[in-house]
Amino acid sequence: MTDLIIAQAFNGLVLGMIYVLLAMGLSIVWGMMDIINFAHGLFFAIGAYLAFTVASWSGSFLVCLLAVPLATALIGMLLEVTLLRRLYGQNILYQILMTYGIAIAGRELVIMLYGPVGKSFDQPELLTGVIPIAGIFFPIYRIFVFGLTALLTLGMWFVIEKTRWGSIIRAGTENLKMVSCLGINISRVFTLTFGVAMAIAGLSGVLAAPMRGIEPFMGDLILGICFATVVIGGMGSFAGAVVGGLIVGLSQSMVTLVMPSASVIIIFMVMAAILLIRPRGLMGIRD
Amino acid sequence: MPTRTEPAPLNRWWQSHRSVALLAGLFAVFPFVLPYTALANEIMLFALAAVAFDLCLGYSGVMMFCQASFFGTAVYATALTLLHLTSNLFAAMVVGVLAASLLALVVGFMATQRSGSYSVLLTLAFAEMIYFIAFQWSGLTGGDNGLTGIKRPNLEIPGLFSISLQSSLAYYFFSFVFFIAAFYTIRRITLSPFGKVLMAVRENEQRAQAIGYNTRRYKMAVFVIGGFFMGLAGSLYCMYICFAHIHFVHFEISGNIVMMVLTGGMGTLFGPVIGAFIIVLASDLASALWDRWMLIMGAMFVFFVLFARGGLWGLIEKLLRAKAARGKGI
Repeated sequence: MTDLIIAQAFNGLVLGMIYVLLAMGLSIVWGMMDIINFAHGLFFAIGAYLAFTVASWSGSFLVCLLAVPLATALIGMLLEVTLLRRLYGQNILYQILMTYGIAIAGRELVIMLYGPVGKSFDQPELLTGVIPIAGIFFPIYRIFVFGLTALLTLGMWFVIEKTRWGSIIRAGTENLKMVSCLGINISRVFTLTFGVAMAIAGLSGVLAAPMRGIEPFMGDLILGICFATVVIGGMGSFAGAVVGGLIVGLSQSMVTLVMPSASVIIIFMVMAAILLIRPRGLMGIRD
Repeated sequence: MPTRTEPAPLNRWWQSHRSVALLAGLFAVFPFVLPYTALANEIMLFALAAVAFDLCLGYSGVMMFCQASFFGTAVYATALTLLHLTSNLFAAMVVGVLAASLLALVVGFMATQRSGSYSVLLTLAFAEMIYFIAFQWSGLTGGDNGLTGIKRPNLEIPGLFSISLQSSLAYYFFSFVFFIAAFYTIRRITLSPFGKVLMAVRENEQRAQAIGYNTRRYKMAVFVIGGFFMGLAGSLYCMYICFAHIHFVHFEISGNIVMMVLTGGMGTLFGPVIGAFIIVLASDLASALWDRWMLIMGAMFVFFVLFARGGLWGLIEKLLRAKAARGKGI
């Protein structure tokens, strides 16, 4: 039984790291650009589908890991420049409606291109198999995902805390007007930030594809979970995204052991509980 | 000083009620003009939900993404009452509407803990939760198979009278009474002092607070009123199609209702009705022609946000004003 719990906890950790990546992008865009991006889940799905195409062309998972985030970043920046940019500083309602429209249209485009039936995505050959540690079998691919996402999270932390671009993002989350008064070209920063967020979303799609398969509606489900993650962790907070993602992933996998049917519902129950006890989220700084 | 002549009582009544009368006239002929009654019924019930949502969004500035939860909960509650408890029409409706209102109270309480974008997200998260509960609790809701075998009750008081509602047309006019009554009530709410406070909350919540209004309580009230009427729409819809399915609590229904209000025109009473007419009709036609018609829907969201925020009603008003200005020779 302990073996099972440990193995499942590891699964939850890996799943949680995927949520961390997604919540990070969502949270940065929300905190800085004040946009609730309903198309965030779409980019997760696009990432997975592009991985499918790229993998069938090149046959290499490594190429997927490099090319797909680049592609989703470009698509994201294109959207930002053509559509989202027109809505900055306006009522959040319009941004929600527009990104929601983009999410629907994008999903339908994906179905037109790839068909409504899901696809399976094989694990890269190098990463198949399991490693036994103390009698428990850990799948190599999941260890790889955990390592890569942890590295990426650390990298993001470094970028946000230690670089100039990161300090602009943090300052922008605090007070955007002041930042632009200091002579920083905010609109270029926005485009770049949105691109990076979409790159991360696309990458998490690539990483998730071998574990969960690919289907057109995968973005819709993950979007709700990501929103819950951000609410649990606290909006605009890097640590919040990490803590929230891990809590969500772990509670989901642990509840699966006891009561599989409640594994998604538990996320929203945790969210409701956090909301009642600490409305700004575990790590949230501001209201 | 010349005294203003008071219009005759009948005239006055007409002036304050002509919009409702116009709507009643329009919907009275719908089932005979449209290709089939089912379409007229769907338009009417979604128009009801859309008007109720517009009271939240357009008049009070309360955005939510859980319309389907209120609508669908009423569908399920009505269906379950009819299947397991009683075949009484009004009992089923009361249970359905009460269930939706109660849910709206809970969601409203949670969502108004925070403001702005946070609050919207919370409604969305709760909508997801309701969806998954309905999906997983298949013992009660039938899961993906839905609940079938619901019999539409007749309008009757045992021993006194009984009117059959089994034909589509009879049921249409039964719902019609509720639709017009609901529209009239919502219109009265927007004209009442309570409605004026709602608009103050929409325009500037801080200022409304400064004057001394407990804006959170008003927003919660809006949730409950909205939930009540969306529940009414759901309950009537359930007895019309005699079927309850997980689809009715799905996010897509919420998205459609938002779309109706956006295309029709926010903050107007007729706008959402026009929006419902267009969206239901368009999705009925388009879904028959093209499987991926939702693509157009998504593009329409973007189009209306960028170019036509007042919706179609806004465009009509603009045209009328331009015509009036030309008539005066300006």
